[in-house]
Amino acid sequence: MDSDRALMARVARGEEAAFTSMVDRYGGRLLGVARRLLGSRADAEDAVQRALLSCYTGAGGYRPEWAVSTWLYRILTNICVDELRRRSTRQGRREPAASRPADDGEPGRYMDLHRALERVPREARVLLALRYVDGLSYDELAKIRGISVNTVKSQLARGKSLLRAELGKRGASHE
Amino acid sequence: MSELTTVDPLDALLRDYFRPEAAPPGLARRALAAGAQDTADLAGLAKRLVIGATSEGVCLIRAGKQERPATAVARRLTEQTREEIAEYLAGERVFFSVPVDLSETPPFQRRVLEAARRIPFGEARPYAWVAERIGHPHAVRAVGTALGRNPVPLIVPCHRVWRSDGGLGGYLFGAELKRRLAELERRTPILEGCTSTRIVCRVGCVHGRQMRPDHRVVFGSVEDARSVGYRPCKLCKPSAAA
Repeated sequence: MDSDRALMARVARGEEAAFTSMVDRYGGRLLGVARRLLGSRADAEDAVQRALLSCYTGAGGYRPEWAVSTWLYRILTNICVDELRRRSTRQGRREPAASRPADDGEPGRYMDLHRALERVPREARVLLALRYVDGLSYDELAKIRGISVNTVKSQLARGKSLLRAELGKRGASHE
Repeated sequence: MSELTTVDPLDALLRDYFRPEAAPPGLARRALAAGAQDTADLAGLAKRLVIGATSEGVCLIRAGKQERPATAVARRLTEQTREEIAEYLAGERVFFSVPVDLSETPPFQRRVLEAARRIPFGEARPYAWVAERIGHPHAVRAVGTALGRNPVPLIVPCHRVWRSDGGLGGYLFGAELKRRLAELERRTPILEGCTSTRIVCRVGCVHGRQMRPDHRVVFGSVEDARSVGYRPCKLCKPSAAA
């Protein structure tokens, strides 16, 4: 099996088979991040498709000093953050269907957590998703969002503290 | 993962919640198919436009063959407009900095166009909203006519005015282009930060053009960017836009 970087070199040459292998390798994790950030499977798949396409068309600009996963997560989070911005704009104008509940097929199981996460500021929410989907290190998170490691740590700590407070308010048992 | 080894019930809950999804079959194929649709020639429109300018600003944008502008100032404005429109259509610009000259436009139409110009990038408003905004709530049809004769489409974004029932309404370049512009704006972020300078700009700012692609990070608001150590660009003033 090709290493990630060898695979990217083949993608950059326009090899569709290499692109398919890369999607097999990362599609699920990208979808996990997008779905939990955006809430719906359809929106998540749209975001992931756009990220993958951007990766395919921009593969020539990939820099080998980047881990492929870091590069892919950068592209995906750029798309998800903008989608979240658009939703908050629509919510501000009280347009309908700005936010949908997570259609995770397990009704109610994560409802408290989902709602609590909506109270966490966007930047911290994105970091939490990346941290827990793939167990990314602070260094990787810092590189993906273009921020310092200290900011990553403080954002994650703040996000988790807000979550604890929200879940506590809702009386949810996460212990 | 060593930082995650501490036993914390919230960690366990979050790991379970954020578990990876099973990728649907054919994801790669669908991504490539969507790309083939996207690359249809939207960017080519910029080359097919005739642009008129006075020394005050752009006064006409229509489909047609470009003639040589009369003055050096008009020539410069014409070129700048064409460049900005090309960037906009390529998803690399969310605002126009070229001045507009509406001095030859009748007063009612000018008020309609000025109201339409305030509709933010990526958003839409009904014709009735424009009518209300200019103080003529019953003049919805006249608003439609005024927008249909917009001398400077794209720059004055009459394509962001839709029918109240969510229908597209008309467009002087055709309804299909109106739909595609809405789609373009839906997929174009408005704020980008540079990871090396830690400055956040509106997409299309001259700073952004010098940015390496791997230095580009999208933000949802200026406040979000500030919260992680970025400062707003003094040139494009993103705080005023988002």
